[in-house]
Amino acid sequence: AAREVKMSAPKTIPKDAQVMIQILKDMGITEYEPRVINQMLEFTYRYVTTIIEDAKTYASHANKSNVDADDIRLAIQCRMDQSFTSPPPRDFLLEVARQKNQTPLPLIKPYTGPRLPPDRYCLTAPNYRLKSIQKKVSSSANRISVPRLSVGAVTSRPTTPTLGTPSVQSVTTKVGTPVSLTGQRFTVQIPPPSQTTTTKPTTPSTPAVSNVLINPSLIGSKNILITTNMVSQNSGGESLKRKHEDDDDYDAL
Amino acid sequence: DTSLAKQKTDIKTEPSTDGFGNNNANDGRVLSASPGSGSSTGSNKQTAAVTPEDQQTLLAVLQFLKKNKLIESVEILRREAGLPENSLDPKATESAGAGSGGAAAVAEDQPDVRVVLSAYSQQGDPTLYEVYYSDLKKFIETVLDCHRAELSQVFYPLFVHMYLELVYNNHESEAKAFFEKFSGDQECYYEEDLRVLSGLTKKEHMRGNETLLDFRTSKFVLRISRDSYQLLKRHLQERQNNQIWNIIQEHLYIDIFDGMPRSKSQIDAMSGSLAGEAKREANKTKVYYGLLKEPEIELPLDDEDEEAENEEGKPKKKKPKKDSMGSKSKKQDPNAPSQNRIPLPELKDSDKLDKIMYMKEATKRIRLGSDNLPSVCFYTFLNAYQGLTAVDFTDDSSLIAGGFADSTVRVWSVTPKKLRKVKSAADLNLIDKESDDVLERIMDEKTASESKIMYGHSGPVYGISFSPDRNYLLSSSEDGTVRLWSLLTFTCLVAYKGHNYPVWDTQFSPYGYYFVSGGHDRVARLWATDHYQPLRIFSGHLADITCTRFHPNSNYVATGSSDRTIRVWDVLSGNCVRIFTGHKGPIHSLAFSPNGKFLASGATDGRVLLWDIGHGLMMGELKGHTDTIYSLRFSRDGEILASGSMDNTVRLWDVMKAFDDLETDDFTAATGHIHLQDNSQELLLGTYTTKSTPVIHLHFTRRNLLLAAGAFNP
Repeated sequence: AAREVKMSAPKTIPKDAQVMIQILKDMGITEYEPRVINQMLEFTYRYVTTIIEDAKTYASHANKSNVDADDIRLAIQCRMDQSFTSPPPRDFLLEVARQKNQTPLPLIKPYTGPRLPPDRYCLTAPNYRLKSIQKKVSSSANRISVPRLSVGAVTSRPTTPTLGTPSVQSVTTKVGTPVSLTGQRFTVQIPPPSQTTTTKPTTPSTPAVSNVLINPSLIGSKNILITTNMVSQNSGGESLKRKHEDDDDYDAL
Repeated sequence: DTSLAKQKTDIKTEPSTDGFGNNNANDGRVLSASPGSGSSTGSNKQTAAVTPEDQQTLLAVLQFLKKNKLIESVEILRREAGLPENSLDPKATESAGAGSGGAAAVAEDQPDVRVVLSAYSQQGDPTLYEVYYSDLKKFIETVLDCHRAELSQVFYPLFVHMYLELVYNNHESEAKAFFEKFSGDQECYYEEDLRVLSGLTKKEHMRGNETLLDFRTSKFVLRISRDSYQLLKRHLQERQNNQIWNIIQEHLYIDIFDGMPRSKSQIDAMSGSLAGEAKREANKTKVYYGLLKEPEIELPLDDEDEEAENEEGKPKKKKPKKDSMGSKSKKQDPNAPSQNRIPLPELKDSDKLDKIMYMKEATKRIRLGSDNLPSVCFYTFLNAYQGLTAVDFTDDSSLIAGGFADSTVRVWSVTPKKLRKVKSAADLNLIDKESDDVLERIMDEKTASESKIMYGHSGPVYGISFSPDRNYLLSSSEDGTVRLWSLLTFTCLVAYKGHNYPVWDTQFSPYGYYFVSGGHDRVARLWATDHYQPLRIFSGHLADITCTRFHPNSNYVATGSSDRTIRVWDVLSGNCVRIFTGHKGPIHSLAFSPNGKFLASGATDGRVLLWDIGHGLMMGELKGHTDTIYSLRFSRDGEILASGSMDNTVRLWDVMKAFDDLETDDFTAATGHIHLQDNSQELLLGTYTTKSTPVIHLHFTRRNLLLAAGAFNP
């Protein structure tokens, strides 16, 4: 089959780009990188598409079959208030300034160390939280809440705590429950200590252990709080149930 | 009814048409407009029952009548219009805007009347605008030479206001024709503005442009001698149609002075800003430009001894120190602010040590002059890919910080000493706090590196400033925040949110604790590091603030703006104490002289202007650069001014000579017009070209070595 080799026409710029070049010329801009045209075109297409889509929504909301000028006008107005805001008008600024400038300058307290705003307004707070859990009796006596797995660190060996916390209960996966690490709010039940597990280096005295293991390096988009909440109850073999952690165990992030 | 009409006509003839800054003539128009207020008046208003706009007009009329004590008319009008008894305070009107910030003594309620009226906007016949304008042109061309230059100042604001009125009232074709015919006649330095105007053809375009709205509502100030003004007034009042006179009264403020009319060159030197020139009253406030007294610091004798042993004898060393440090006169400098005019942080021990270092360095300082030029050391940023947007040096020149378009802030050490972070809290517990070198021990050796990168901003970093005690770094960015970074931990401590628009510049006060920032929202804010909200808001500029600088005594802040003016603000009250006009382009750099008396400014027009702050006058003009001047710096003793520009050069100017020449002049002349000599060539001491690297920052070390910084731009 004969293949048609298409020769590219000598450089003709698409009409829209020609319009952009003309705009730049009209505004007196003589030197610019060639990619500026592309940037302007992209902005224009994106803006016009957004407006027209918004207008279509408004038209359908008003049960009109066609988009008309009013819809477009409304769409432009709404977008203007949202993304293309302009600074406040001068009289408003003058009024605000007048009020602000009336208050005298605050005196400076001596000997205060670094002068920073109250902690709430600073960025100096740690963005993770250590949670220590004491002997917490869970609401349902039949449940054992379990340590959640840290991502990628499912081990049956005692892992050294990364934050200096005293002891760690490691999770055994002998339980056989599917341990998927995608959901971060996933809990796995482990059998109560009275049962068979042998690998647990439990300190025998305190079944309820307060420990926390947080490995900041493993923190992804959300913080993963790993708590070990060993409340051992119920010697009887219980079917493994999923348990929803209490809400306050979650870091609201 | 007839009595009311009669009284109204009486009033119309009463007020003399003398006012240009006051409102009598305007009020004449109020009355002529009001009988028609029940029916539609202005172009776009509806004629329903009493619409809110009509209500406001009626209230404005009521106000006026009351003020002129026309009680009977008030009653009659009120009865007829059916207004309730206490409806006397007109509500705030819409975007026509309240009185301009620059208007001098205008009575409280007067602006309301005028504001209401501007909502209706004077309607001459649109097709006649061209006729009026050409008429005025012809008249001014026939006037005497000495008056012509002054009266020609009227052309530009008149042209813009007439054009805007045509656009505002939706006469698009007439506006276009008007523009085409007369835009070529305007002065060349208004070219940029005219280009913006040419793109503005509909009323909707105006709405988003805050600068133009401000221009419309604020008054363009012109300074005209009395004789010239009389000529103009007589001519315009002879005419039947006072359209131009109306516009002049409404939109222009003519600051009349008695004296010789100014020449074209004098006028050109001072004009160029978006709001005309500055009124004389604007620059009359007393400014305390002197420096604060240096605190007495006891020099630790053992240091003295050691050093003295190495060099000359002991007594010789002590003397010079005392002289430079102790205040020369025990009396207060009358031009200096008192120590506690604004609260300033007290000196800590580390600050005192810094001061001692400073004084030691000062003794080794080279005295510069026209015969002794400084050496220049250039720090080039390589591989910045045009992303370097801000640079700052610490005062002792040990650190250099760069703000980049990729929103990072990087700090480098200029000396061989590396940058270290402070140890973590756990480790800090372990060190011996009583040891002598505790300040060394708190540093973590493992983190030593030549440079540190700090992330946090979400937009290009446009302004950067070290604190005087070298503990903090400020950066301002396009994301609208100003961030405070610690230079001990190299992390971000606070993000000050206030501007919601790009912040173009920020600077720490020379004493630390306070800092100022200015941005796209046309205000500058004064902050203290321990308040999350600004302490002062400096509002008044018509366009973005591009440059903010503290005065050496920390009591005043200078801001340079895209509206081509420089304003000096008082930190204590927040008022604008000086307005300097004369630049023909947005101002990008400011520098105060070390003695606090003078201010130097550089703009996109390539000129450096020198201002005397005390008198509020332009002192000198340094021409030479061919492109925007992005950095200005006075040498440590104020003898040399260095300027760095986009044209890849650093130029040195002999400002000692410039100031000396003019100190002897009589500044107390009422007009305050100086004839500036064109001696830029004499004052230029040297031009140093780089290899295609625009100079964005200049810094004199404590020993008067000039450091410059820029990014290589092949």
